[in-house]
Amino acid sequence: MGNGIGAERVDFVAVPTEDRDRAEKFYAETLGLQKNPLSTDTWVEFETGNVTLALVEPEKLGIPFAALPFGAIAIRVPDVGEARAKLEEAGIEFEGGVWDSGVCNGAAFTDSEGNGLLLHHRYAPYADGSQP
Amino acid sequence: MQVEQVDFVSVPTRDVARAVAFYRDVLGLPESEYLDGEVETPNVTLSFWNPERDGEPFVPIQSGIALRVSDVPAAIDEARAAGAEVVGIEDTGVCHMGFVKDRDGNVLILHRRYAARRRRAES
Repeated sequence: MGNGIGAERVDFVAVPTEDRDRAEKFYAETLGLQKNPLSTDTWVEFETGNVTLALVEPEKLGIPFAALPFGAIAIRVPDVGEARAKLEEAGIEFEGGVWDSGVCNGAAFTDSEGNGLLLHHRYAPYADGSQP
Repeated sequence: MQVEQVDFVSVPTRDVARAVAFYRDVLGLPESEYLDGEVETPNVTLSFWNPERDGEPFVPIQSGIALRVSDVPAAIDEARAAGAEVVGIEDTGVCHMGFVKDRDGNVLILHRRYAARRRRAES
């Protein structure tokens, strides 16, 4: 088969919110992400370095709010334990401790809207020796 | 806290092999060279996970992962022909968005922005 519809890249991941101001505060202040200066009053984006997170308000479009499932967005941090501790200081509750898969560490939590996020750091090289 | 990037977006599925086949064959995304159950886009990995196998409830992504395509109406036609459920298509005034569901009900937004972006002070 060919290359299907030819998807070129992920332009954004839509992050549903029930209170967008609250979510903006979380992504800006708690996670420390940069708000895209091209955001508008009706379209708010945060940048992660490789993919955009767009804060959307489904209920304003008549669509029921449904949070992202468990661990949906895996956020790379230098040290999962340190990042988890900082977030806990900020009042964020985690679902369990820091796990070690044998190649990476992770810790699951939710944003201000209940969307599933994951702190993630792969420490092991891939099979060909390359680094993540 | 220092966020370096998004390593992957976890896409829930009840059948990882079926999901990989859909994203590879219908969307045209290559499988990971390193790990089973993943496909790559140039900027972020999509990782398929069966939550029910780990005791977590299956909940599809309903807000959407936006995939850039060159022509949204054409991509919608191709996706429909390949068996994807087409939910709708919109012209927002700056972009086209075609909403489809994968085989597990995850919403994908086939997306193309056609308007230049302007800083708020310029608009």
